[in-house]
Amino acid sequence: MNPANLELIDQLSEDLTPVRTMKFHDGLLMAVTALVASVLIVAFVNGLWQAGLAGQASPYFYITNALLLAVGFAGATSVITMASPRVGNRHDGPRWAMAMLGVMPVAALITLLAQGGSEHASAIPGDPHAFKCALSGMAAGTLTAFVLFAWLRRGAPVSPNAAGLHLGVAAGALGSVAYGLSCPIDGVLHLGFWHVAPVLIFGLAGRFIAPRFLRW
Amino acid sequence: MIADEATMARLMTAAQKGDRQSYTVLLDEASKWLARFFARKLPHGQVDDLVQEVLLAIHNKRASYDAGRPFIPWMAAIARYRWVDHLRKVYRAEEDQLEDWDGSEDSDEEAVGARVSLDRLFGYLPEKQAEVIELVKIEGHSIREAANLSGQTESAVKVNIHRGLKKLAAIIEEAE
Repeated sequence: MNPANLELIDQLSEDLTPVRTMKFHDGLLMAVTALVASVLIVAFVNGLWQAGLAGQASPYFYITNALLLAVGFAGATSVITMASPRVGNRHDGPRWAMAMLGVMPVAALITLLAQGGSEHASAIPGDPHAFKCALSGMAAGTLTAFVLFAWLRRGAPVSPNAAGLHLGVAAGALGSVAYGLSCPIDGVLHLGFWHVAPVLIFGLAGRFIAPRFLRW
Repeated sequence: MIADEATMARLMTAAQKGDRQSYTVLLDEASKWLARFFARKLPHGQVDDLVQEVLLAIHNKRASYDAGRPFIPWMAAIARYRWVDHLRKVYRAEEDQLEDWDGSEDSDEEAVGARVSLDRLFGYLPEKQAEVIELVKIEGHSIREAANLSGQTESAVKVNIHRGLKKLAAIIEEAE
């Protein structure tokens, strides 16, 4: 064997210290904790929408938040898995979950077009509630984004582009769920556009900004 | 003879707990495995450098190995990642010619090795992309020579290298 290899092996062995291994359930627990903390912060700052929690909201409220939750956890579990790479791993889950969530803006657009849009000012850009919800959803996702980013940095992601995208999608979706629990506007237009927007925006940011910080 | 999957996984688990003796054995076995892994996909003179890079990566990222999962696919994913990175950076070195494969073909290790191999990763590329990456990035030909050898235009060679490397980077884990 090459003497340089032997020397390196000796040095690395000398430097060896015990490490805490990155277990999937630890990563998942961290993501869940970040979500719970985000919900508590939203509850403290804005208060939760009691009618929604009591089952009195429109079906769109529950459908949208359930889809966002599914996308969020699909993205988060993908990120957690990507930190421990393995030939044979596949990361298709978030793609399918995002396709399912895509139904909401499509439904909102169809509704908007069918009804002429005039009666649905809340869905039109410029409405302060709309932007408030999108921005608040993103703000509520920052803790999750930070936690997942830190997990990836500690791990060894070998597909930084996909890891960044899934990180952004997970953080955007879980943040939107957290903030969404405080939002009393439960129409398909508002939810389909403005509660899904954080997923798109964080997803793009994750795809195009995060990879440079995830390469190792 | 290189240690098998179960042995390497056991050594790595012990190493994560701080067992230096196990770690030395593991890195020794890993370096042999990696030298064979890269042998056909790198000019001979570059193999040791890349093996060392991967050993360092294994050391720095050792916490990311999950003891409940196989070791070789984890190491292979890291090795592929470093290899694609290396191909992006490599410059033409005419004196470094690829030597013929002289590794022995033996045992079950070959089955595991084949599944995670660089050939398998290369197999996911369209033929034109794989051909010019092989010619330019691995065998060290110039763009013009690769164009002559492959029958592609020089700009097509550049585009196919760019697209091929991008695709390789995207399928490091998936291609098996």
